[in-house]
Amino acid sequence: MNNKKVLLEVKDVDLSFGGLSVLNKVSFDVRGGEILALIGPNGAGKSSILNVITGFYTPNAGQVLLEGKNLVGMSADKIVDKGVVRTFQAAEILFELNVRENVVAASMKEMKLFAGAIGMGWKYGRPSRSGELADQCLELVGLGDVAERSAAQLTAGQQRLLAAARALATGAEILFLDEPGAGLNHIEKELLVNAILRIRKSGVTVVFVEHDLTFVSKLAERIVVLNYGQVLAKGEAEAVRTDPKVIDAYLGNTEINRRRDNRSERSNRRLLTAANLSASHGAVQALEDVSLHVDEGEIVSLIGANGAGKSTLLGCISGRYRPSQGTLEFAGRSLRGIAADKRPGLGIALAPEGRSLFGSLTVEENLMMGYFSQLRRSGLSQLIAPRGEHHRAMLEVMEEVMTFFPKLRQRRHQQAGTLSGGEGQMVNIARALMSRPQLLMLDEPSFGLAPQVTREILESLPDLTRKGVSILIIEQNAKAALQMSDRGYVLVNGSIVAEGQSNALLERADINEAFLGWQESTESEHERVSA
Amino acid sequence: MNRAIAPVAVVLGLVGIYLSGNDYLINLGVVCAIYTIPAIGLGLLFGRCRQISLGHAAFVAIGAYVAAITSNEYGIDPWFSVLLATLTGGLCAWAVGKLMFRLSGHHLAMATLALGMIVHTVLVEWRSVTGGPDGTALINPLVLGSVDLMSDRAFFLLGWGVACLLLLASDNLIRSPFGLGLRVVGESESVASSIGIKPNALKVAAMTISGGLAGLSGALYAYWLGYISPDPFNVAFSLKLLLIVALGGYSGSWRLLVGVFFVVVISEVLKAFGRWDTIIFGLLLIAAMLYPQGWLGGMFDQFRQSRQATAGDKRGELN
Ligand SMILES: Nc1ncnc2c1ncn2[C@@H]1O[C@H](COP(=O)(O)OP(=O)(O)OP(=O)(O)O)[C@@H](O)[C@H]1O
Ligand SMILES: [Mg+2]
Repeated sequence: MNNKKVLLEVKDVDLSFGGLSVLNKVSFDVRGGEILALIGPNGAGKSSILNVITGFYTPNAGQVLLEGKNLVGMSADKIVDKGVVRTFQAAEILFELNVRENVVAASMKEMKLFAGAIGMGWKYGRPSRSGELADQCLELVGLGDVAERSAAQLTAGQQRLLAAARALATGAEILFLDEPGAGLNHIEKELLVNAILRIRKSGVTVVFVEHDLTFVSKLAERIVVLNYGQVLAKGEAEAVRTDPKVIDAYLGNTEINRRRDNRSERSNRRLLTAANLSASHGAVQALEDVSLHVDEGEIVSLIGANGAGKSTLLGCISGRYRPSQGTLEFAGRSLRGIAADKRPGLGIALAPEGRSLFGSLTVEENLMMGYFSQLRRSGLSQLIAPRGEHHRAMLEVMEEVMTFFPKLRQRRHQQAGTLSGGEGQMVNIARALMSRPQLLMLDEPSFGLAPQVTREILESLPDLTRKGVSILIIEQNAKAALQMSDRGYVLVNGSIVAEGQSNALLERADINEAFLGWQESTESEHERVSA
Repeated sequence: MNRAIAPVAVVLGLVGIYLSGNDYLINLGVVCAIYTIPAIGLGLLFGRCRQISLGHAAFVAIGAYVAAITSNEYGIDPWFSVLLATLTGGLCAWAVGKLMFRLSGHHLAMATLALGMIVHTVLVEWRSVTGGPDGTALINPLVLGSVDLMSDRAFFLLGWGVACLLLLASDNLIRSPFGLGLRVVGESESVASSIGIKPNALKVAAMTISGGLAGLSGALYAYWLGYISPDPFNVAFSLKLLLIVALGGYSGSWRLLVGVFFVVVISEVLKAFGRWDTIIFGLLLIAAMLYPQGWLGGMFDQFRQSRQATAGDKRGELN
């Protein structure tokens, strides 16, 4: 395996923004035909090195050699022509196109003006084969059936698969995938693993960034570990994973070791009641007759496949979507007719899927926006310039939130749009906490976060409930979510098919098989690693 | 087959107007053709590529004056002057694009707005060449063989002949790889680069085409009227073109004509308001932005959706 030829060589790459050094003498190589994983904590510089290699960032120093030829200084599209192609951490699907067009755009290559004007654009040359090539790529990632759908209708998981298909369709020789598995459930991940194996079989070299170590160990032959912008370790997968330095800096102990107990403290007062909710997106029925409740101080998890309607349910509670039927009651009061922007003021906060931060505002300003609903209650003039006790109260909450995410304290004044994926997710959750909600809804909090950070967040949820917060959580890592929660609901195709105490759900064989499979193997993986 | 409906309907309508022999209608028809041509280019630039030009009137003005000056002063054949006008419009737009697209953000809107003002000022002040605010008359007419094309009727045929050909080409173009590329760039430039599409090259191409078509329309306008002055090439004119594209559902194809007819008719009505029309067209533009499919197009889509939804329900019942 080791005698593969070096295809791409990253040599002493330095990158900094202002005073902040993001990459520091990073060197590693990619060998022809291999699958290489790039791992490391949030903000370690993984996406940044991808950006350097693919021409989106220009490094301060260093070289990227493709078969001996330097790529630094070439424009991004030129580098694509050389066969070095990337996906984005945020998938970046073009929603105004349909699924197939997203891929065809990558495979057509030639855009002749005159031929196009006389209606011959698709008749000759590359474009004449682009449709077929696009279909092959879609087939390869398992999206053949939805090719004609609008890209906006895809689930988060399908969007990532589409991004991979699109990159592949450019005729890539080296594919750089930035967290292709984020937000996918274990079935979709299995699909993705197979897709990547097929891609490699077709002769393409694959480099991917990923936080899910099961995923990594299923695919990677070699691993490069980045930490604080430096290469911490690189080499054969097995050797790297057992390297004490790596375990220390990144892997750590990711097993959730606190189970939820001490239920006795909780009152049985209902905080949120949803009765017989139905909702649809256009012609698609997303929720059907869903009833659920959350008590004060309770942690409730909502599990189910991507597209089962979980996010729609949270959207109905946060006011983003209007249910077509059913009622919602929060703290004894009906939510009917209360607009989405008024609901945080009542104590409902949502950390939505896929972030949605204010990219041009700093971290601190984003957090202040989370406090907006509190300020608004204390009068209009407070909105113009928070003063006195209100200002102090805001800073206090911010301090509290920042102790939760120490990384954000360092990044206080950085524009949110330039944060790493994981740092952005931290801001997303922190912003929801800023409104001091009674009900905190987390839509896939672990999205894009390093395993240790995920564990920390999940483990701190009980502390939050002690402060009087109730939590409704959606999480692909269903096992961890159930371990940390009191009760759970299982959603399939928009309907609740099972509910009960989390312990009971964890033990049910059918649920285990349908939703916890991947995580099971995670556990055995860790046993192997620590053994 | 569906693709044929719009063009056939348009051509039938035009033939109807021509045969009606109504001078007023035919005159309005010429005006429509003259609006359609630059709107096609703007449909590609603004509609597909999402680049806003707030000074498109400037390129039309450049075309009109290049045609007038080259044929008056240098005795160039009128047809050749039309060609020169088209090329000059394209060249100016290309230069603006080259300069502006090096910067990211909405600099094009600013730059074209400024360009519109500069061109207008030059036309007014550079009297020795442009004739100043009083304008200039075109001495030589456009003739085809022995037929003088200066009459409304002849120009109706010429203008719509050109417009229909261009609509056909543009309709093809937006369905072609080039058109897909424009849409990709319009939605996300970083995605475009990541799949090997050069955002700047496409934006400059769209800009050049739209400048060329604006120049062409300006030249035709000059010959039709036989006299030009700086006045018509104002901000309101640029806004009208944007409004046409927005009302036409940003499509760059036959749907544009919905916008053209609406704007021309409204302009007739608004003549009474004089200078206030700029404000009214601005407000209409805002209103149009609220319906991204275009007014008529949006209604049509809604109708189709509701029909599909009920059809879906029926299917559901059967199962
Ligand atoms: N344009 C920029 N300006 C300032 N700082 C930046 C910029 N881009 C990245 N950074 C910083 O560089 C660091 C590395 O970011 P990068 O996106 O490479 O992290 P990552 O390893 O991909 O992390 P994650 O796993 O969270 O996605 C981060 O701390 C980020 O805040
Ligand atoms: Mg990243």
